[in-house]
Amino acid sequence: MAGKTRAGRKLKMTRKAKRTREAVGGGRAFWIATNKQKTIQERVSALAHVPMAVGEGDNNLQAVLGVLRDVKEPIEVRLAALQSLQAASFSVVAFESSSGDYRATLRNIAQDENPELRERALSVLAQQKDGFAQKKLLEGLQNPQKALVPPQKALQLLSYDVHADAYKAARAIVNSPPNPVAKSEALRLLSADATAAPMFEKILLDKSESRENRQLSASALHALDPEKMQTLARDIVLDASDYDDIKATSLTALTQFGDNAAFARDQTLRKSVDLMKTRGSDELQLSASQFLSKLEA
Amino acid sequence: MNVELQIHDSTSPDARFLGWVPSPCRIRVTDPSGTTGPSVNLQITGNTAAGGGQVVLRTGTTGAFATKITVAVPTNGATVPFFAAGRFGQPSSSNGDVSIEVSDRANLIISVPVMVRIRKNANLLSTAERDRFVSAFGKLNDQGKGRFRDFRDMHVAVSLSQAHGAPGFLPWHRSYLLDLERDLQAIDQSVSLPYWRFDQPAPNIFTADFFGTADQNGTVQFSATNPLQFWRTDGQLGVIRRPKFPTSTAPPNLLNEAQTLALGGTFKSFRQMEGNPHGSAHVSFVGSIDNPATAPKDPLFFLLHCNVDRLWAKWQRKFARFDLAVPASFDEIATSRPGHKLSDTMWPWNGVTGHTRPPTAPGGPMSASPCVTAPGPQPRVEDMLDYQGEIASASELGFDYDDALFV
Repeated sequence: MAGKTRAGRKLKMTRKAKRTREAVGGGRAFWIATNKQKTIQERVSALAHVPMAVGEGDNNLQAVLGVLRDVKEPIEVRLAALQSLQAASFSVVAFESSSGDYRATLRNIAQDENPELRERALSVLAQQKDGFAQKKLLEGLQNPQKALVPPQKALQLLSYDVHADAYKAARAIVNSPPNPVAKSEALRLLSADATAAPMFEKILLDKSESRENRQLSASALHALDPEKMQTLARDIVLDASDYDDIKATSLTALTQFGDNAAFARDQTLRKSVDLMKTRGSDELQLSASQFLSKLEA
Repeated sequence: MNVELQIHDSTSPDARFLGWVPSPCRIRVTDPSGTTGPSVNLQITGNTAAGGGQVVLRTGTTGAFATKITVAVPTNGATVPFFAAGRFGQPSSSNGDVSIEVSDRANLIISVPVMVRIRKNANLLSTAERDRFVSAFGKLNDQGKGRFRDFRDMHVAVSLSQAHGAPGFLPWHRSYLLDLERDLQAIDQSVSLPYWRFDQPAPNIFTADFFGTADQNGTVQFSATNPLQFWRTDGQLGVIRRPKFPTSTAPPNLLNEAQTLALGGTFKSFRQMEGNPHGSAHVSFVGSIDNPATAPKDPLFFLLHCNVDRLWAKWQRKFARFDLAVPASFDEIATSRPGHKLSDTMWPWNGVTGHTRPPTAPGGPMSASPCVTAPGPQPRVEDMLDYQGEIASASELGFDYDDALFV
């Protein structure tokens, strides 16, 4: 009967809100997350809902760090513990007093047996520009026997804080790539190196190179030497023998960053792009339409 | 007879953007030729193109809206106020897809194109809306050399205490998004910031034509026509982001909207959402977005936070938490760090550096809007609460969400 009155409904709603809060965060979820008697699924699910509880006290934080460090814990639970800590790290205050412990734990698990855990720990450390992680990643590139992650992942993570040693390692990979993905990541890392512009020009014009690397080179060159890229992009668009996706990337660069006034005077380019509106791949047709729309705007 | 229409009390085309909140408008006769008497009765209506936005009107600050109003306008040039708003649920999809028209009996006198510009679910944008947005975002970034660099530099390790882990978390990010959105609109007026509803599948967001798809190494790949292929931050090309969930078919494992809105009716309880779903959404990927210091390197950050802000807006509506005078509208703590109390100005817009603030203040003051005056160049925490100007119309910040009503 009480539930049908206004006061009763309010009480019911308050209780429901309280149950929801208890179900999704706070004490009970935290208790489940750290309880080894619970199933893996229960613990993983609970860990997804405890980020704020992790930050509420040093004991909570230490307990989750303990789960993360414990090699006897199921890997699913350890990964969920790391994810929960990462979510909690967005509430910076709670982490300020324990960031040393968090970093030490990450360094520890960066050398764990599990490759996914290693990669995720190194990822967090690399984002923090951690010297230990950078050293390990470089070591792995120079000596694959010591590699904690594949070369393409090491290059990607080093890109968070590029310095000369990383450039050197990336150039070595470009010259002698262990796999195509590693070469792409090395090129991406070198996109910040002003001295790499000639290399990107060469790759962009090399039709035997992979299309992905040519597109990546176009993007890199456009930032390193915009005037050169504008000229090359025009040449590529007018080159009947080049691939549609490379032309589309070139046209997109011209549309986004090019000199409209110069294009408006360039009848050769304009006529050629006009034909592309109805010929070639969908991407090329779309990029041609976008280019012409910009000129007409 | 000629007539002038002012939207947001301005004749500038830059001010012709409406939301759900009634915008002050004016009408006046600029050339009374052909009229007789001291005033003329004019009909004002909204005329919508196919699939366009819809406008509703009223003559005063209160009362019901109508699709058509009649006003007596003096022929001596004096202005007559009225109010226009977007019809809830009927936003525009392009600039000028709805017009405010003035007629004298059956004769059309003037037609002013406007846009009901609303923040929408990114997963539901039209192709044209999506393409305009990524184009504007690409230009803001300008291969790492554009204005976006300021936004990247505002959210770095040394500045996190200004924006996280304290009551100012939601207001600071509302201000951050607003500043960015206004700069996007300076590039393309038709753009508004869309949101990623991270509690729903988003098959249209994680595509090569929009926010990209991760390759086997977690590097995001874009189509050849996507301007985000040139995205660059901290000197580095590209975006690193590998989802831990099947983006097309399921959302990440986090609090859904209903659960978030049920966190409680006080700001103190609601701001727990900084951990879950906010933090949980960030760490549903492996990549720059999963770390507070690197998160804005990924443009998806701004769609994620737009949804966080939208949830706050919906919570504010649900519990009527727009008024500073209502304690539950905010978690005012006397010992909060500078930047986290209602009357505090927020960094970096206040330009204050050193001591309890970061050593530099990138970006300068808040960008101005041609439509509204709030929050001013140096927003305070309290300026972010009454975003629709419900308590004081001058507080309106000039944005709305497609599913957050103004009453």
